[in-house]
Amino acid sequence: MAGQRPAQGVANPAKINMIPDDGKDSHYTDFTFDMFLSSAGKDHAEITRFNQWRDQVMDAHMYTFQVPHLGAQRPEVSVRRVTGERLDLISFASYNYLGYSYHPEVLAAARQALETYGLGATGSPVLNGTFQIHEELEARLIEFFGLPGYGVSLFSSGYGANLGVVSAFAHKGDYVVLDRLSHASLVDGALLSQATVKLFRHNDVAHLERVLNRLDHRHARILVCTEGVYSADGDTGHVADLVHVAKRFGAAVLVDEAHSLLVAGPSGRGVAEEQGVLEEVDMIIATFSKSFGGVGGCLVARENLTNYVNWYARSRMFSCALDPAVTGGLIKSLELAAGPDGQAKRVRIHKNAEYLRDKLRGKVDLGTSHSWIIPVIYGDEHRTIPLNEYLQREGLDMSLMGFPAVPKNEARIRMFVTSEHTEEQLDRGAEIVLQAAQEFDFLLPDAELSSVQRST
Amino acid sequence: MPGPKKDGLIIWHYDFALSTFYEVETESIEGLVPKRLAAVQVAPGVSLINLTALNFPAGGLDSLPEFQELILSVIVSPDLSRGVPASAMHVISLGSTNAEHLDHCVSYYKLPVYGQFTKADLQHDPHTALYEDSHGPIARLRNVHPSPDYFEGERYFQAFVEEGDELYVADIVMKGQLYEHQDANDSDEFWNHPFFRSINLTDAEPTVFMQIFNQPSTPGEQFYPRPEKFG
Repeated sequence: MAGQRPAQGVANPAKINMIPDDGKDSHYTDFTFDMFLSSAGKDHAEITRFNQWRDQVMDAHMYTFQVPHLGAQRPEVSVRRVTGERLDLISFASYNYLGYSYHPEVLAAARQALETYGLGATGSPVLNGTFQIHEELEARLIEFFGLPGYGVSLFSSGYGANLGVVSAFAHKGDYVVLDRLSHASLVDGALLSQATVKLFRHNDVAHLERVLNRLDHRHARILVCTEGVYSADGDTGHVADLVHVAKRFGAAVLVDEAHSLLVAGPSGRGVAEEQGVLEEVDMIIATFSKSFGGVGGCLVARENLTNYVNWYARSRMFSCALDPAVTGGLIKSLELAAGPDGQAKRVRIHKNAEYLRDKLRGKVDLGTSHSWIIPVIYGDEHRTIPLNEYLQREGLDMSLMGFPAVPKNEARIRMFVTSEHTEEQLDRGAEIVLQAAQEFDFLLPDAELSSVQRST
Repeated sequence: MPGPKKDGLIIWHYDFALSTFYEVETESIEGLVPKRLAAVQVAPGVSLINLTALNFPAGGLDSLPEFQELILSVIVSPDLSRGVPASAMHVISLGSTNAEHLDHCVSYYKLPVYGQFTKADLQHDPHTALYEDSHGPIARLRNVHPSPDYFEGERYFQAFVEEGDELYVADIVMKGQLYEHQDANDSDEFWNHPFFRSINLTDAEPTVFMQIFNQPSTPGEQFYPRPEKFG
């Protein structure tokens, strides 16, 4: 019988790909986020291992995450690295699509609200935390959407909005049907609801139909969730097609317009407006931390539903209401976005995104993006840390994303274009990214090297 | 924390490895996972199983002639106190074309042996594996990536096995000319077969989540020590 062989020529093969206690036999680039998610056994080895990894990255002065910004999220920012160095960067990392987070009128409105209402709401919105300024924001949002019979339910975060709305709407015995690339807040809401969760392939209407067909759609309550713009790929949800299929099965539809509200659609009412199905969508989720430039989120839906959600969304009931100062600023952001300022900014952000895409097209892999979120796919997720370090050193503040958030070998730099970027900043951003593509070997094979150089 | 022991290590030499991770509904495999382990969920209600097809040439395992094996596992949370693996597997079924190999797997590795296959057809180009036994065909696996870019690499895995009320774990390292990818493709074929225990893969419509394979005909090594008691 096959006997035991000696382990010839291998010092300790089982130590490969490990973080040993001395931290020398492995490299921090060997690891991905998913590897520290959980551990079997009684001790919390995932915490120990994660901290060993973090310490390795820190010791190498390569820790580029959670870098403190020293001012507002403008197209040019300053950050303080873990080494204490200050770096001046062009930012393509912020969701401040229309620049309202630092708009003087928005700040003035926030200051005024702060003076009137104080720092915090200090209570649940259902109890003592609702101020007049919250009702004013709700009224402005209803006016903006122009949907008769609709109401608004405010949340103190976009995450909380999805979490609360999905879990208030669906319950055990119901179904929540999610696009495979749904944001974590929708996934968590579905899990919290205790409904049965089903997934359909990203934007695949035929697959959604197959999934719905297998459910007891004549008796069970079904909620189909999609997004206006998906932030990993910068592609648009096939909202209209999904709505039409969902309605045939009697399913309700939720569209998360986090990355698209105020930017997509003729009047900024999102992808549902752009695709002509605004009134057919049952629940619209807005996030205030992106194009509004603040923080928070809301549900826009028929008033009977928002009334219910106000009471039964646990993430709302058991959270403090929106900060008054932020609320004051949001009202002004919305007012600006609904008027000529918003129209002009929408034109600019689309123009800027096309301009940057043109600079990069044919030289690096831009995936399927056709929005203001432009992914540059560099492939191997193990290059994320050195690449981010390189980009920061060269002058860019970027958002990198790798496995398991995106498939293996499809790690990407995400460039969030805003209406406030100048042509010069876009040129410089493209130049550094293409420089990185040469350095890290993700330039497309037929890219003309001469055109990688900055055009002056 | 102590590192893994290398006592009882056996080096297996293979020349064909095709390891595919499939998405299946968590509820279809939960009953196969011991209470002390947890099936990984890659999406709500979606877990992973793994099927690995291997060819060991003559002499690849001591004096045994060439044989082929197929292993079915559920992907579970690893024990990170041992190290940080690419993934951890709870092995639930193993079959082979060689009876002596199966005896060895039971006595040495405590592996849950299904039985002996009557046929294993492993093709190098395209990279496919078809297994059969007296109950009929079991599975046809296929490399779903059209242009692999092989690299000289190692992958560390943890393999959990159950014997009575006890759990055991081994640290396995696979070395070779490898490639891994996540190009989802439903090209593999499964038959309703006792090898799969209670998992009905024909109904489950498993989707390829990830594949790892070696360059066919190139030598690879599997470092597989005797499992030790877990916890």
